[in-house]
Amino acid sequence: MKTPAKPAIEESGDAVTRRRALSWLSGFGLFGSLIITAFSNLIYIKPRATYGQPNRFSIGKPEDFPSGARVSLDTRRVCIVRDGDKIAAISTTCTHLGCIVSVSETGFACPCHGSRYDQDGNVTGGPAPKALPWFQVSLAPNGEIEVDKDTEIEQGNYLRV
Amino acid sequence: MTTSSKASPWKALVELPENIWRSIFRNPLPSSDLGRASTSFTNFFLHLHPVKVHRNSLKATYTWGLGLMSFFLFFILVVTGILLMFYYVPSTTQAYDRMLDLRGTVAFGIFLRNMHRWSAHGMVAVVFLHMCRVFLTGSYKPPREFNWVLGVFLLLITLFLSFTGYLLPWDQLAFWAITVGTSIASYAPLVGKQMKFILLGDSTVGQEALLRFYVLHVAVLPAVLSLLVAIHFWRIRKDGGLSRPEEEDAFPAEAAPVKLELVQAPAVVMASSPAAAAAVEPVLQKRHYGIQGLVRGPFTKVGNVPDRSEFAWPNLFMAELLVFLITVAGVLVVSLFFNAPLEQPVNVMHPPNPAKAPWYFLGLQEQVSYSAFWGGVGIPTIEVLLLLIVPYIDRKIAGVGRWFARERLLANFLFLTFVIVNIILIIIGTFFRGPNWEFVSPW
Repeated sequence: MKTPAKPAIEESGDAVTRRRALSWLSGFGLFGSLIITAFSNLIYIKPRATYGQPNRFSIGKPEDFPSGARVSLDTRRVCIVRDGDKIAAISTTCTHLGCIVSVSETGFACPCHGSRYDQDGNVTGGPAPKALPWFQVSLAPNGEIEVDKDTEIEQGNYLRV
Repeated sequence: MTTSSKASPWKALVELPENIWRSIFRNPLPSSDLGRASTSFTNFFLHLHPVKVHRNSLKATYTWGLGLMSFFLFFILVVTGILLMFYYVPSTTQAYDRMLDLRGTVAFGIFLRNMHRWSAHGMVAVVFLHMCRVFLTGSYKPPREFNWVLGVFLLLITLFLSFTGYLLPWDQLAFWAITVGTSIASYAPLVGKQMKFILLGDSTVGQEALLRFYVLHVAVLPAVLSLLVAIHFWRIRKDGGLSRPEEEDAFPAEAAPVKLELVQAPAVVMASSPAAAAAVEPVLQKRHYGIQGLVRGPFTKVGNVPDRSEFAWPNLFMAELLVFLITVAGVLVVSLFFNAPLEQPVNVMHPPNPAKAPWYFLGLQEQVSYSAFWGGVGIPTIEVLLLLIVPYIDRKIAGVGRWFARERLLANFLFLTFVIVNIILIIIGTFFRGPNWEFVSPW
């Protein structure tokens, strides 16, 4: 800039002076950095790996679960259901407020707020808002059944073994 | 203390204690109004207060000392909390054992834990009562709108502090209350599931959640709360002290017009011509000099200011000390006679039936038993938004500074309805709910 900025131009307001453009840009930069910082922190505190229970785990060979078995693995919070050659994993975490549902005659029952589900996990009573989710079940190369709690599947999708 | 003309080492030595004392405490105990003003003004802790305070603010039946009490409870919580930190380990394998240690082996351990727990309960209650006081006296009206907003945030942070602290003992109550609580959060639209995951650091309550709650409880939330408390206090000063009835500010009609006697004429008057001084005279007479802005220099005006204010020293400080003593005494007595509950260690397989949250969340849990979304997220969000927006909707300056003012019948009625409904829900949740959250009779 050869000549110093004339106040008259700045006060006119309409013309975009260099000074105004720069203040806009620096304001944008500062505010932008603030947002990026906040966002990075959010990404930082969201864990990429969890240290607790793995969400993908092996539960043993298909032979361990005889036909008609309904085995609730409480530590895994999942119920393994076998019907003939069909195997599925149904969540035992109550969809109401996260208590563990127990296997009952008619399906599942929650001890906390009295939600009840049928054999497939559909709500039959109580405050639960939706059915118990089903998790992806697959056969690992070593012949063991693998449950992936990160992948929910449609109800009635069994793994055939 | 005058500096001696002939400085001798011996004299310096003799005067040493007094000189040190004087260098720390600049004012001797005040015996004059100027001294009283100066004491408030030159002391770091006291200067947060005004030099003079309105008589209405000192009336116990106006404030009930609730705001101060909240602050003192927070102070007790910080002190006992830091002491507890010396023995606590935020680990799922150790936390519960440390609770047993506090109860069994640590000197005063159980007592400190009791103080911490009961102060926390007390703080939730007192902060809420303080909010009721501010509403029912119409104290959120301009210019105090934003301080009310800060107050609502302070209530929310208090609740969140209490919620994060609830997990730390790692007993059954802790685990299931937090499981239920964070599940409620996951019902929030769009971000609910993410929020729960970030809060717990995992998909279920475990080691990660314990560590996160610990960090929030001992570092993040207290820091945020302290900052907001500082702004809250600062704004009280900037908004002209506590709210009071308008007529309290008016000059008494029967009082003779007060002639302002300046200790020394202002420089501007002295420097100008007599004509200029004459022109300034009426302005000076109308001017109302508080002690706040003028405590130093030749303008110090003490004693005959025609307002209804008292010197903060000793009136306000004695009142504050009294509230402090009552608060500490209350916490000590409760902590002596009642032990903070500690249930069985966490058993992930067996939730207690019913799994109840702390009492101040039982209203929420009662709502949740009807509808998880509306009871847990929808209605609370609407309630908080309404609280935040109140001072910007209800702008009529009438009935400020009086309890249950007639002019504020509708506002007070609506607010009391909100309070009473929530109290009833808490009572139902606490006493009338049994296994499977079914209705039971407490008798």
